[in-house]
Amino acid sequence: MTNNKYKILLIEDDANIRSVMTAMLETAGYQVHLADSCGFGKILYTSHQPDVVILDLGLPDMDGMHFLSFVRQDSLTPIIVLSARSDDRDKVLALDAGANDYVTKPFSSAEFLARIRMVLRNYQHRSDSGKLPGGKFRMRDLTIDYDARQIFIGEQEIRLSQTEYNIVALLSEHCGKMMTYSAIIKGVWGYPDEGSTKKLQVNMANIRKKFGVKPGDSWYISNELGVGYRMNGEKEE
Amino acid sequence: MKVKRVLIDSLITLAALAAAFALSIAFQRLDVEEHITTVFVFTVFLIALFTDSYFYGVAASVIATVAINYVFAFPYFAFDFIDPVNLVSAVIMVALAMITSLLATRLKHHKAVIAESEREQMRANLLRAVSHDLRTPLTTISSASAMLRENKAALTPEQQDSMLQSIQEDAQWLVRMVENLLSVTRIDNATMKITKAPMILDELIDSAVTKFAAKYPQPKVSIILPDEIVVIPMDAILIEQVIINLLENAVYHAKGMTVLSLQVLTQGDRAVFEIADDGCGIDENRLKHIFTGCYELQRDTASEKKRFAGIGLSVCATIVKAHGGSICAENRKEGGALFRFTLKKEDASDDEQ
Repeated sequence: MTNNKYKILLIEDDANIRSVMTAMLETAGYQVHLADSCGFGKILYTSHQPDVVILDLGLPDMDGMHFLSFVRQDSLTPIIVLSARSDDRDKVLALDAGANDYVTKPFSSAEFLARIRMVLRNYQHRSDSGKLPGGKFRMRDLTIDYDARQIFIGEQEIRLSQTEYNIVALLSEHCGKMMTYSAIIKGVWGYPDEGSTKKLQVNMANIRKKFGVKPGDSWYISNELGVGYRMNGEKEE
Repeated sequence: MKVKRVLIDSLITLAALAAAFALSIAFQRLDVEEHITTVFVFTVFLIALFTDSYFYGVAASVIATVAINYVFAFPYFAFDFIDPVNLVSAVIMVALAMITSLLATRLKHHKAVIAESEREQMRANLLRAVSHDLRTPLTTISSASAMLRENKAALTPEQQDSMLQSIQEDAQWLVRMVENLLSVTRIDNATMKITKAPMILDELIDSAVTKFAAKYPQPKVSIILPDEIVVIPMDAILIEQVIINLLENAVYHAKGMTVLSLQVLTQGDRAVFEIADDGCGIDENRLKHIFTGCYELQRDTASEKKRFAGIGLSVCATIVKAHGGSICAENRKEGGALFRFTLKKEDASDDEQ
Protein backbone atom coordinates (compact mmCIF):
# COMPACT_ATOMS: atom_id res chain seq x y z
CA MET A 1 0.00 0.00 0.00
CA THR A 2 1.45 3.26 -1.07
CA ASN A 3 0.72 6.29 0.97
CA ASN A 4 -0.08 8.85 -1.69
CA LYS A 5 -3.65 7.65 -2.05
CA TYR A 6 -6.43 10.07 -1.32
CA LYS A 7 -7.85 9.50 2.14
CA ILE A 8 -11.61 9.27 2.36
CA LEU A 9 -13.52 9.31 5.59
CA LEU A 10 -16.83 7.50 5.28
CA ILE A 11 -19.35 8.15 8.04
CA GLU A 12 -22.30 5.82 7.64
CA ASP A 13 -24.20 3.76 10.19
CA ASP A 14 -25.53 0.99 7.95
CA ALA A 15 -23.03 -1.90 7.85
CA ASN A 16 -24.12 -3.21 4.42
CA ILE A 17 -23.87 0.13 2.73
CA ARG A 18 -20.51 0.68 4.45
CA SER A 19 -19.09 -2.55 3.09
CA VAL A 20 -20.38 -1.96 -0.46
CA MET A 21 -19.07 1.60 -0.51
CA THR A 22 -15.73 0.59 0.92
CA ALA A 23 -15.40 -1.92 -1.92
CA MET A 24 -16.33 0.76 -4.47
CA LEU A 25 -13.83 3.23 -3.08
CA GLU A 26 -10.95 0.80 -2.59
CA THR A 27 -11.24 -0.60 -6.11
CA ALA A 28 -11.13 2.98 -7.35
CA GLY A 29 -7.82 3.42 -5.51
CA TYR A 30 -8.82 5.43 -2.46
CA GLN A 31 -7.80 4.77 1.13
CA VAL A 32 -10.91 4.50 3.29
CA HIS A 33 -11.46 5.25 6.97
CA LEU A 34 -14.74 4.13 8.42
CA ALA A 35 -16.89 5.61 11.17
CA ASP A 36 -20.34 4.46 12.19
CA SER A 37 -21.31 7.50 14.22
CA CYS A 38 -20.93 11.24 14.23
CA GLY A 39 -18.80 11.21 17.39
CA PHE A 40 -16.36 8.61 16.07
CA GLY A 41 -16.33 10.46 12.75
CA LYS A 42 -15.12 13.61 14.50
CA ILE A 43 -12.28 11.71 16.17
CA LEU A 44 -11.17 10.12 12.90
CA TYR A 45 -11.49 13.43 11.10
CA THR A 46 -9.18 15.19 13.53
CA SER A 47 -6.62 12.38 13.65
CA HIS A 48 -6.48 11.50 9.93
CA GLN A 49 -7.26 14.81 8.17
CA PRO A 50 -8.98 13.12 5.19
CA ASP A 51 -9.09 14.62 1.68
CA VAL A 52 -12.81 14.01 1.29
CA VAL A 53 -15.55 13.21 3.78
CA ILE A 54 -18.60 11.20 2.78
CA LEU A 55 -21.28 11.84 5.34
CA ASP A 56 -24.59 10.13 5.91
CA LEU A 57 -27.13 12.59 7.29
CA GLY A 58 -29.17 10.17 9.37
CA LEU A 59 -26.72 9.01 12.04
CA PRO A 60 -27.68 7.33 15.32
CA ASP A 61 -25.90 9.61 17.81
CA MET A 62 -26.54 13.01 16.26
CA ASP A 63 -27.67 14.55 13.04
CA GLY A 64 -25.01 14.69 10.34
CA MET A 65 -25.56 18.44 10.19
CA HIS A 66 -23.57 18.68 13.45
CA PHE A 67 -20.59 17.12 11.75
CA LEU A 68 -20.92 19.56 8.87
CA SER A 69 -20.76 22.59 11.11
CA PHE A 70 -17.94 20.99 13.14
CA VAL A 71 -15.75 20.64 10.04
CA ARG A 72 -16.74 23.98 8.50
CA GLN A 73 -15.58 25.87 11.61
CA ASP A 74 -12.01 25.80 10.36
CA SER A 75 -11.67 23.79 7.18
CA LEU A 76 -12.76 23.58 3.55
CA THR A 77 -12.29 19.81 3.23
CA PRO A 78 -14.82 18.67 0.61
CA ILE A 79 -17.85 16.96 2.10
CA ILE A 80 -20.27 14.90 0.08
CA VAL A 81 -23.54 14.28 1.83
CA LEU A 82 -25.24 10.94 1.50
CA SER A 83 -28.92 10.89 2.14
CA ALA A 84 -31.77 8.45 1.88
CA ARG A 85 -34.11 11.36 2.10
CA SER A 86 -35.00 12.48 -1.39
CA ASP A 87 -36.54 15.61 0.04
CA ASP A 88 -34.98 18.65 -1.59
CA ARG A 89 -35.20 20.69 1.61
CA ASP A 90 -32.65 18.46 3.37
CA LYS A 91 -30.26 18.76 0.46
CA VAL A 92 -30.58 22.54 0.43
CA LEU A 93 -29.99 22.69 4.20
CA ALA A 94 -26.88 20.53 3.96
CA LEU A 95 -25.50 22.50 1.00
CA ASP A 96 -26.13 25.83 2.69
CA ALA A 97 -24.40 24.48 5.81
CA GLY A 98 -21.28 23.90 3.72
CA ALA A 99 -21.58 20.52 2.03
CA ASN A 100 -20.00 20.52 -1.43
CA ASP A 101 -22.35 18.08 -3.05
CA TYR A 102 -24.84 15.38 -2.28
CA VAL A 103 -25.70 11.92 -3.53
CA THR A 104 -29.13 10.44 -2.97
CA LYS A 105 -29.39 6.78 -2.06
CA PRO A 106 -29.62 4.58 -4.01
CA PHE A 107 -26.82 5.60 -6.37
CA SER A 108 -24.65 3.88 -8.94
CA SER A 109 -20.93 3.50 -8.34
CA ALA A 110 -20.15 5.43 -11.52
CA GLU A 111 -22.21 8.39 -10.37
CA PHE A 112 -20.74 8.29 -6.88
CA LEU A 113 -17.10 8.07 -8.01
CA ALA A 114 -17.65 10.87 -10.54
CA ARG A 115 -18.81 13.14 -7.73
CA ILE A 116 -15.75 12.33 -5.66
CA ARG A 117 -13.40 13.06 -8.55
CA MET A 118 -15.24 16.31 -9.14
CA VAL A 119 -14.91 17.65 -5.60
CA LEU A 120 -11.28 16.50 -5.38
CA ARG A 121 -10.34 18.23 -8.60
CA ASN A 122 -12.14 21.37 -7.59
CA TYR A 123 -10.45 21.43 -4.20
CA GLN A 124 -7.00 20.88 -5.70
CA HIS A 125 -7.64 23.53 -8.30
CA ARG A 126 -8.45 26.00 -5.59
CA SER A 127 -5.47 25.17 -3.40
CA ASP A 128 -2.95 25.34 -6.31
CA SER A 129 -4.01 28.50 -7.99
CA GLY A 130 -6.57 30.19 -5.85
CA LYS A 131 -8.48 32.96 -7.51
CA LEU A 132 -5.83 35.08 -9.18
CA PRO A 133 -6.94 38.53 -10.19
CA GLY A 134 -7.10 38.72 -13.94
CA GLY A 135 -7.10 34.95 -14.06
CA LYS A 136 -8.83 32.82 -16.60
CA PHE A 137 -11.03 29.84 -16.09
CA ARG A 138 -10.63 26.99 -18.55
CA MET A 139 -12.63 23.85 -18.83
CA ARG A 140 -12.76 21.79 -22.00
CA ASP A 141 -13.53 24.41 -24.68
CA LEU A 142 -15.05 26.90 -22.27
CA THR A 143 -12.91 29.92 -21.33
CA ILE A 144 -13.91 32.67 -18.93
CA ASP A 145 -11.79 35.80 -18.84
CA TYR A 146 -12.65 37.29 -15.44
CA ASP A 147 -10.86 40.59 -16.16
CA ALA A 148 -12.50 41.31 -19.47
CA ARG A 149 -15.75 39.70 -18.31
CA GLN A 150 -15.87 37.63 -21.50
CA ILE A 151 -16.87 34.06 -22.12
CA PHE A 152 -15.68 31.97 -25.06
CA ILE A 153 -16.54 28.58 -26.47
CA GLY A 154 -13.45 27.71 -28.46
CA GLU A 155 -12.73 30.94 -30.31
CA GLN A 156 -16.26 32.19 -30.34
CA GLU A 157 -17.45 34.70 -27.79
CA ILE A 158 -20.81 34.13 -26.13
CA ARG A 159 -22.45 37.48 -25.52
CA LEU A 160 -24.25 37.46 -22.19
CA SER A 161 -26.00 40.20 -20.27
CA GLN A 162 -24.33 41.45 -17.10
CA THR A 163 -26.50 39.34 -14.82
CA GLU A 164 -26.07 36.26 -17.01
CA TYR A 165 -22.31 36.69 -16.97
CA ASN A 166 -22.32 37.10 -13.19
CA ILE A 167 -24.21 33.84 -12.79
CA VAL A 168 -21.87 31.84 -15.02
CA ALA A 169 -18.78 33.42 -13.43
CA LEU A 170 -20.05 32.66 -9.94
CA LEU A 171 -20.70 29.03 -10.83
CA SER A 172 -17.24 28.72 -12.39
CA GLU A 173 -15.60 30.14 -9.26
CA HIS A 174 -17.27 27.35 -7.33
CA CYS A 175 -16.77 24.79 -10.07
CA GLY A 176 -17.75 21.31 -8.91
CA LYS A 177 -19.77 22.57 -6.00
CA MET A 178 -23.53 22.36 -6.02
CA MET A 179 -24.71 25.93 -5.47
CA THR A 180 -28.19 26.36 -4.01
CA TYR A 181 -30.60 28.89 -5.49
CA SER A 182 -30.25 31.10 -2.43
CA ALA A 183 -26.42 31.00 -2.56
CA ILE A 184 -26.43 32.05 -6.23
CA ILE A 185 -29.02 34.75 -5.63
CA LYS A 186 -26.98 36.12 -2.73
CA GLY A 187 -23.84 36.11 -4.88
CA VAL A 188 -25.42 37.73 -7.93
CA TRP A 189 -28.11 40.10 -6.63
CA GLY A 190 -26.85 40.44 -3.08
CA TYR A 191 -30.25 39.96 -1.50
CA PRO A 192 -33.12 37.55 -1.97
CA ASP A 193 -36.60 38.80 -2.75
CA GLU A 194 -39.86 37.26 -3.75
CA GLY A 195 -39.65 35.65 -7.14
CA SER A 196 -35.85 35.72 -7.22
CA THR A 197 -35.66 31.96 -7.83
CA LYS A 198 -37.90 32.50 -10.83
CA LYS A 199 -35.64 35.34 -11.99
CA LEU A 200 -32.62 33.07 -11.67
CA GLN A 201 -34.30 30.29 -13.63
CA VAL A 202 -35.34 32.67 -16.41
CA ASN A 203 -31.72 33.84 -16.63
CA MET A 204 -30.46 30.24 -16.76
CA ALA A 205 -32.92 29.39 -19.53
CA ASN A 206 -31.64 32.39 -21.50
CA ILE A 207 -27.98 31.51 -20.85
CA ARG A 208 -28.62 28.01 -22.14
CA LYS A 209 -30.20 29.43 -25.29
CA LYS A 210 -27.25 31.78 -25.86
CA PHE A 211 -24.85 28.84 -25.55
CA GLY A 212 -26.99 27.13 -28.20
CA VAL A 213 -27.83 24.22 -25.91
CA LYS A 214 -31.25 22.58 -25.92
CA PRO A 215 -32.89 21.50 -22.67
CA GLY A 216 -31.75 17.98 -21.86
CA ASP A 217 -28.42 18.23 -23.69
CA SER A 218 -25.41 17.65 -21.50
CA TRP A 219 -23.62 20.89 -20.83
CA TYR A 220 -21.16 22.64 -18.49
CA ILE A 221 -23.83 23.41 -15.96
CA SER A 222 -26.12 20.83 -14.42
CA ASN A 223 -29.51 21.64 -13.07
CA GLU A 224 -31.00 20.08 -9.94
CA LEU A 225 -34.66 20.97 -9.66
CA GLY A 226 -35.60 22.53 -6.36
CA VAL A 227 -31.95 22.63 -5.24
CA GLY A 228 -29.66 24.66 -7.47
CA TYR A 229 -26.98 24.55 -10.19
CA ARG A 230 -23.47 23.21 -10.47
CA MET A 231 -20.72 23.79 -12.97
CA ASN A 232 -19.38 20.33 -13.68
CA GLY A 233 -15.67 19.95 -13.20
CA GLU A 234 -15.44 16.95 -15.44
CA LYS A 235 -17.51 15.28 -18.03
CA GLU A 236 -20.18 13.11 -16.41
CA GLU A 237 -20.01 9.49 -17.41
CA MET B 1 -58.23 30.82 8.25
CA LYS B 2 -60.21 30.11 11.40
CA VAL B 3 -60.32 33.75 12.42
CA LYS B 4 -61.50 34.62 8.94
CA ARG B 5 -64.28 32.04 9.16
CA VAL B 6 -65.48 33.43 12.49
CA LEU B 7 -65.49 36.93 11.04
CA ILE B 8 -67.49 35.89 7.98
CA ASP B 9 -70.03 33.96 10.07
CA SER B 10 -70.48 36.84 12.48
CA LEU B 11 -71.04 39.23 9.56
CA ILE B 12 -73.60 36.88 7.98
CA THR B 13 -75.45 36.66 11.29
CA LEU B 14 -75.46 40.39 11.91
CA ALA B 15 -76.44 41.28 8.35
CA ALA B 16 -79.30 38.76 8.31
CA LEU B 17 -80.60 39.95 11.66
CA ALA B 18 -80.38 43.59 10.58
CA ALA B 19 -82.35 42.77 7.42
CA ALA B 20 -84.98 40.90 9.44
CA PHE B 21 -85.23 43.80 11.85
CA ALA B 22 -85.71 46.29 9.01
CA LEU B 23 -88.33 44.10 7.39
CA SER B 24 -90.17 43.72 10.70
CA ILE B 25 -90.31 47.46 11.20
CA ALA B 26 -91.75 47.78 7.71
CA PHE B 27 -94.34 45.10 8.54
CA GLN B 28 -95.24 46.92 11.71
CA ARG B 29 -95.81 50.14 9.75
CA LEU B 30 -97.96 48.23 7.25
CA ASP B 31 -99.82 46.68 10.13
CA VAL B 32 -99.15 43.02 9.25
CA GLU B 33 -97.51 42.25 12.57
CA GLU B 34 -98.56 38.61 12.60
CA HIS B 35 -95.81 37.83 10.01
CA ILE B 36 -92.96 39.28 12.04
CA THR B 37 -92.36 36.03 13.86
CA THR B 38 -92.26 34.19 10.52
CA VAL B 39 -89.63 36.61 9.22
CA PHE B 40 -87.40 35.97 12.23
CA VAL B 41 -87.94 32.21 12.07
CA PHE B 42 -86.89 32.25 8.42
CA THR B 43 -83.85 34.43 9.20
CA VAL B 44 -82.73 32.08 11.94
CA PHE B 45 -83.12 29.19 9.52
CA LEU B 46 -80.92 30.93 6.91
CA ILE B 47 -78.27 31.84 9.47
CA ALA B 48 -78.10 28.29 10.77
CA LEU B 49 -77.80 27.00 7.21
CA PHE B 50 -75.01 29.30 6.03
CA THR B 51 -72.79 29.49 9.09
CA ASP B 52 -70.28 26.99 10.31
CA SER B 53 -71.34 26.16 13.85
CA TYR B 54 -74.37 25.82 16.12
CA PHE B 55 -73.39 28.97 17.90
CA TYR B 56 -74.58 31.50 15.30
CA GLY B 57 -78.01 29.94 14.78
CA VAL B 58 -78.68 29.64 18.48
CA ALA B 59 -77.36 33.14 19.20
CA ALA B 60 -79.50 34.51 16.37
CA SER B 61 -82.60 32.75 17.71
CA VAL B 62 -82.00 34.17 21.18
CA ILE B 63 -81.54 37.66 19.77
CA ALA B 64 -84.63 37.23 17.60
CA THR B 65 -86.69 36.05 20.56
CA VAL B 66 -85.59 39.01 22.62
CA ALA B 67 -86.26 41.38 19.72
CA ILE B 68 -89.75 40.06 19.06
CA ASN B 69 -90.59 39.99 22.71
CA TYR B 70 -89.22 43.44 23.46
CA VAL B 71 -89.88 45.43 20.34
CA PHE B 72 -92.55 43.85 18.24
CA ALA B 73 -94.86 42.05 20.62
CA PHE B 74 -97.36 43.45 23.05
CA PRO B 75 -96.50 44.97 25.51
CA TYR B 76 -94.13 47.03 23.30
CA PHE B 77 -90.66 47.86 24.65
CA ALA B 78 -91.09 45.61 27.65
CA PHE B 79 -90.35 41.95 28.24
CA ASP B 80 -93.18 39.55 28.75
CA PHE B 81 -92.22 35.91 28.92
CA ILE B 82 -95.38 34.87 30.65
CA ASP B 83 -97.49 35.19 27.51
CA PRO B 84 -97.61 31.62 26.14
CA VAL B 85 -97.55 32.89 22.49
CA ASN B 86 -94.17 34.56 23.02
CA LEU B 87 -92.80 31.59 24.86
CA VAL B 88 -93.85 29.17 22.12
CA SER B 89 -92.26 31.26 19.37
CA ALA B 90 -89.04 31.44 21.40
CA VAL B 91 -88.89 27.68 21.84
CA ILE B 92 -89.70 27.06 18.17
CA MET B 93 -86.94 29.36 17.01
CA VAL B 94 -84.25 27.89 19.21
CA ALA B 95 -85.29 24.37 18.20
CA LEU B 96 -85.32 25.31 14.51
CA ALA B 97 -81.87 26.85 14.74
CA MET B 98 -80.43 23.76 16.35
CA ILE B 99 -82.04 21.29 13.96
CA THR B 100 -81.00 23.28 10.87
CA SER B 101 -77.43 23.60 12.08
CA LEU B 102 -77.37 19.90 12.78
CA LEU B 103 -78.61 19.08 9.28
CA ALA B 104 -76.22 21.52 7.60
CA THR B 105 -73.29 20.11 9.56
CA ARG B 106 -74.31 16.60 8.62
CA LEU B 107 -74.48 17.51 4.96
CA LYS B 108 -70.98 18.99 5.07
CA HIS B 109 -69.74 15.95 6.92
CA HIS B 110 -71.34 13.70 4.33
CA LYS B 111 -69.52 15.51 1.51
CA ALA B 112 -66.23 15.17 3.37
CA VAL B 113 -66.89 11.46 3.83
CA ILE B 114 -67.46 10.99 0.11
CA ALA B 115 -64.24 12.85 -0.75
CA GLU B 116 -62.38 10.82 1.84
CA SER B 117 -63.69 7.54 0.47
CA GLU B 118 -62.56 8.55 -3.04
CA ARG B 119 -59.09 9.20 -1.70
CA GLU B 120 -59.17 5.92 0.18
CA GLN B 121 -60.18 4.15 -3.01
CA MET B 122 -57.24 5.68 -4.85
CA ARG B 123 -54.84 4.78 -2.08
CA ALA B 124 -56.22 1.26 -1.86
CA ASN B 125 -55.81 0.77 -5.62
CA LEU B 126 -52.25 1.92 -5.42
CA LEU B 127 -51.49 -0.21 -2.41
CA ARG B 128 -52.99 -3.30 -4.02
CA ALA B 129 -51.02 -2.74 -7.19
CA VAL B 130 -47.85 -2.25 -5.16
CA SER B 131 -48.14 -5.24 -2.89
CA HIS B 132 -49.10 -7.34 -5.87
CA ASP B 133 -46.04 -6.14 -7.73
CA LEU B 134 -43.49 -6.12 -4.93
CA ARG B 135 -43.38 -9.86 -4.44
CA THR B 136 -41.94 -10.85 -7.79
CA PRO B 137 -38.81 -8.70 -7.81
CA LEU B 138 -38.21 -9.41 -4.12
CA THR B 139 -38.44 -13.13 -4.79
CA THR B 140 -35.92 -12.84 -7.60
CA ILE B 141 -33.52 -10.79 -5.53
CA SER B 142 -33.64 -12.91 -2.41
CA SER B 143 -33.58 -16.30 -4.11
CA ALA B 144 -30.95 -15.40 -6.69
CA SER B 145 -28.63 -13.90 -4.09
CA ALA B 146 -29.12 -16.87 -1.75
CA MET B 147 -28.38 -19.21 -4.64
CA LEU B 148 -25.20 -17.33 -5.50
CA ARG B 149 -23.92 -17.55 -1.94
CA GLU B 150 -24.86 -21.15 -1.23
CA ASN B 151 -24.30 -22.89 -4.57
CA LYS B 152 -21.73 -20.71 -6.19
CA ALA B 153 -19.53 -23.65 -7.16
CA ALA B 154 -22.33 -25.44 -8.96
CA LEU B 155 -23.13 -22.52 -11.23
CA THR B 156 -21.40 -21.76 -14.51
CA PRO B 157 -20.01 -18.23 -14.85
CA GLU B 158 -22.79 -17.49 -17.38
CA GLN B 159 -25.45 -18.60 -14.92
CA GLN B 160 -23.90 -16.50 -12.18
CA ASP B 161 -23.80 -13.55 -14.48
CA SER B 162 -27.42 -13.89 -15.52
CA MET B 163 -28.48 -14.16 -11.88
CA LEU B 164 -26.58 -11.02 -11.01
CA GLN B 165 -28.23 -9.33 -13.92
CA SER B 166 -31.73 -10.26 -12.73
CA ILE B 167 -30.88 -9.05 -9.25
CA GLN B 168 -29.73 -5.75 -10.65
CA GLU B 169 -32.74 -5.31 -12.94
CA ASP B 170 -35.25 -6.10 -10.26
CA ALA B 171 -33.52 -3.92 -7.71
CA GLN B 172 -33.61 -1.02 -10.17
CA TRP B 173 -37.26 -1.70 -10.78
CA LEU B 174 -37.87 -1.47 -7.03
CA VAL B 175 -35.96 1.80 -6.91
CA ARG B 176 -38.22 3.29 -9.56
CA MET B 177 -41.30 2.07 -7.76
CA VAL B 178 -40.18 3.52 -4.43
CA GLU B 179 -39.41 6.85 -6.11
CA ASN B 180 -42.93 6.89 -7.45
CA LEU B 181 -44.49 6.02 -4.13
CA LEU B 182 -42.37 8.62 -2.36
CA SER B 183 -43.55 11.28 -4.74
CA VAL B 184 -47.16 10.43 -3.94
CA THR B 185 -46.43 11.06 -0.27
CA ARG B 186 -45.53 14.64 -1.17
CA ILE B 187 -49.22 15.17 -1.86
CA ASP B 188 -50.98 16.17 1.33
CA ASN B 189 -53.15 13.25 2.46
CA ALA B 190 -56.05 15.19 3.85
CA THR B 191 -56.50 17.85 1.22
CA MET B 192 -54.84 16.36 -1.87
CA LYS B 193 -53.02 19.68 -2.03
CA ILE B 194 -49.45 20.27 -3.10
CA THR B 195 -47.04 23.13 -2.61
CA LYS B 196 -46.74 25.00 -5.88
CA ALA B 197 -43.95 27.34 -6.86
CA PRO B 198 -43.53 29.10 -10.21
CA MET B 199 -41.32 26.99 -12.48
CA ILE B 200 -39.68 27.91 -15.77
CA LEU B 201 -40.64 25.33 -18.37
CA ASP B 202 -37.15 25.10 -19.94
CA GLU B 203 -35.57 24.29 -16.58
CA LEU B 204 -38.13 21.60 -15.83
CA ILE B 205 -37.71 19.92 -19.21
CA ASP B 206 -33.92 20.20 -18.97
CA SER B 207 -33.85 18.40 -15.64
CA ALA B 208 -36.40 15.73 -16.57
CA VAL B 209 -34.80 14.88 -19.91
CA THR B 210 -31.28 14.88 -18.44
CA LYS B 211 -32.35 12.38 -15.78
CA PHE B 212 -34.15 10.26 -18.34
CA ALA B 213 -31.19 10.30 -20.74
CA ALA B 214 -28.83 9.24 -17.94
CA LYS B 215 -30.87 6.05 -17.49
CA TYR B 216 -31.84 5.45 -21.11
CA PRO B 217 -29.24 6.84 -23.48
CA GLN B 218 -30.82 5.10 -26.44
CA PRO B 219 -33.98 6.71 -27.70
CA LYS B 220 -32.89 10.33 -27.92
CA VAL B 221 -35.90 12.45 -27.02
CA SER B 222 -36.73 15.11 -29.58
CA ILE B 223 -37.95 18.22 -27.79
CA ILE B 224 -40.13 21.04 -29.05
CA LEU B 225 -40.78 23.93 -26.69
CA PRO B 226 -42.39 27.34 -27.13
CA ASP B 227 -39.90 30.12 -27.87
CA GLU B 228 -41.17 32.39 -25.14
CA ILE B 229 -40.51 31.82 -21.44
CA VAL B 230 -43.39 29.83 -19.96
CA VAL B 231 -43.97 29.93 -16.20
CA ILE B 232 -46.10 27.21 -14.60
CA PRO B 233 -46.93 27.04 -10.89
CA MET B 234 -46.24 23.45 -9.81
CA ASP B 235 -44.47 21.06 -7.51
CA ALA B 236 -41.58 20.62 -9.92
CA ILE B 237 -40.33 17.37 -8.39
CA LEU B 238 -43.73 15.79 -9.01
CA ILE B 239 -44.23 17.05 -12.55
CA GLU B 240 -40.70 15.94 -13.37
CA GLN B 241 -41.71 12.49 -12.15
CA VAL B 242 -44.75 12.55 -14.45
CA ILE B 243 -42.61 13.40 -17.48
CA ILE B 244 -40.02 10.74 -16.65
CA ASN B 245 -42.73 8.13 -16.05
CA LEU B 246 -44.38 8.86 -19.39
CA LEU B 247 -41.04 8.71 -21.23
CA GLU B 248 -40.12 5.47 -19.43
CA ASN B 249 -43.51 4.06 -20.23
CA ALA B 250 -42.77 4.54 -23.93
CA VAL B 251 -39.39 2.82 -23.54
CA TYR B 252 -40.98 -0.26 -21.98
CA HIS B 253 -44.22 -0.52 -23.91
CA ALA B 254 -43.91 1.10 -27.31
CA LYS B 255 -42.53 -1.86 -29.21
CA GLY B 256 -40.81 -0.94 -32.44
CA MET B 257 -40.44 2.69 -31.42
CA THR B 258 -37.94 4.75 -33.41
CA VAL B 259 -38.93 8.29 -32.42
CA LEU B 260 -39.82 9.53 -28.95
CA SER B 261 -40.89 13.15 -28.73
CA LEU B 262 -41.79 15.59 -26.02
CA GLN B 263 -43.65 18.67 -27.08
CA VAL B 264 -45.07 21.48 -24.99
CA LEU B 265 -47.50 23.99 -26.42
CA THR B 266 -49.49 26.78 -24.86
CA GLN B 267 -53.25 27.05 -25.42
CA GLY B 268 -54.80 30.08 -23.78
CA ASP B 269 -53.97 29.90 -20.09
CA ARG B 270 -52.85 26.28 -20.26
CA ALA B 271 -49.62 24.49 -21.06
CA VAL B 272 -50.12 21.21 -22.92
CA PHE B 273 -47.46 18.52 -22.56
CA GLU B 274 -47.46 15.79 -25.21
CA ILE B 275 -45.30 12.69 -25.07
CA ALA B 276 -45.60 10.76 -28.33
CA ASP B 277 -43.97 7.65 -29.77
CA ASP B 278 -44.28 5.74 -33.03
CA GLY B 279 -44.38 2.30 -31.45
CA CYS B 280 -47.10 -0.33 -31.32
CA GLY B 281 -49.78 1.84 -29.73
CA ILE B 282 -52.09 0.90 -26.87
CA ASP B 283 -54.68 -1.87 -26.91
CA GLU B 284 -58.13 -0.25 -27.02
CA ASN B 285 -59.35 -2.32 -24.05
CA ARG B 286 -56.50 -1.07 -21.90
CA LEU B 287 -56.87 2.52 -22.93
CA LYS B 288 -59.94 3.00 -20.72
CA HIS B 289 -58.28 1.82 -17.52
CA ILE B 290 -54.75 2.88 -18.28
CA PHE B 291 -54.53 5.49 -15.51
CA THR B 292 -56.38 3.60 -12.81
CA GLY B 293 -53.65 1.07 -12.17
CA CYS B 294 -56.06 -1.87 -12.34
CA TYR B 295 -55.69 -3.12 -15.84
CA GLU B 296 -52.71 -5.29 -15.11
CA LEU B 297 -54.78 -7.23 -12.60
CA GLN B 298 -57.14 -8.28 -15.36
CA ARG B 299 -54.44 -9.23 -17.79
CA ASP B 300 -51.82 -11.79 -17.12
CA THR B 301 -48.55 -10.40 -15.93
CA ALA B 302 -46.12 -12.71 -17.59
CA SER B 303 -43.80 -9.91 -18.56
CA GLU B 304 -41.99 -8.11 -15.80
CA LYS B 305 -42.02 -4.84 -17.66
CA LYS B 306 -45.77 -4.60 -17.88
CA ARG B 307 -46.11 -4.23 -14.13
CA PHE B 308 -44.52 -0.86 -13.95
CA ALA B 309 -47.01 0.80 -16.26
CA GLY B 310 -49.90 0.38 -13.85
CA ILE B 311 -48.25 2.15 -10.96
CA GLY B 312 -46.28 4.67 -12.98
CA LEU B 313 -49.32 5.86 -14.90
CA SER B 314 -51.67 5.93 -11.92
CA VAL B 315 -49.07 8.01 -10.07
CA CYS B 316 -49.02 10.36 -13.08
CA ALA B 317 -52.80 10.72 -12.95
CA THR B 318 -52.75 11.35 -9.19
CA ILE B 319 -50.09 14.04 -9.52
CA VAL B 320 -51.70 15.84 -12.45
CA LYS B 321 -55.11 15.79 -10.74
CA ALA B 322 -53.62 17.19 -7.55
CA HIS B 323 -52.35 20.07 -9.71
CA GLY B 324 -55.86 20.64 -11.03
CA GLY B 325 -54.84 19.52 -14.51
CA SER B 326 -56.03 16.73 -16.79
CA ILE B 327 -54.33 13.74 -18.38
CA CYS B 328 -55.32 11.42 -21.22
CA ALA B 329 -53.90 8.79 -23.50
CA GLU B 330 -54.75 7.98 -27.10
CA ASN B 331 -53.50 6.20 -30.17
CA ARG B 332 -52.15 8.41 -32.92
CA LYS B 333 -53.58 8.10 -36.42
CA GLU B 334 -50.09 7.72 -37.83
CA GLY B 335 -49.33 4.92 -35.34
CA GLY B 336 -47.96 4.91 -31.83
CA ALA B 337 -49.29 6.28 -28.57
CA LEU B 338 -49.73 9.81 -27.30
CA PHE B 339 -49.96 10.88 -23.66
CA ARG B 340 -51.14 14.39 -23.04
CA PHE B 341 -51.45 16.35 -19.84
CA THR B 342 -52.31 19.99 -19.27
CA LEU B 343 -51.46 22.38 -16.46
CA LYS B 344 -52.53 25.92 -15.82
CA LYS B 345 -49.73 28.35 -16.56
CA GLU B 346 -48.97 31.67 -14.98
CA ASP B 347 -50.39 34.77 -16.61
CA ALA B 348 -47.83 36.18 -19.06
CA SER B 349 -48.34 39.66 -17.61
CA ASP B 350 -47.09 38.44 -14.22
CA ASP B 351 -43.62 37.53 -15.27
CA GLU B 352 -42.31 40.91 -16.30
CA GLN B 353 -39.39 41.19 -13.93
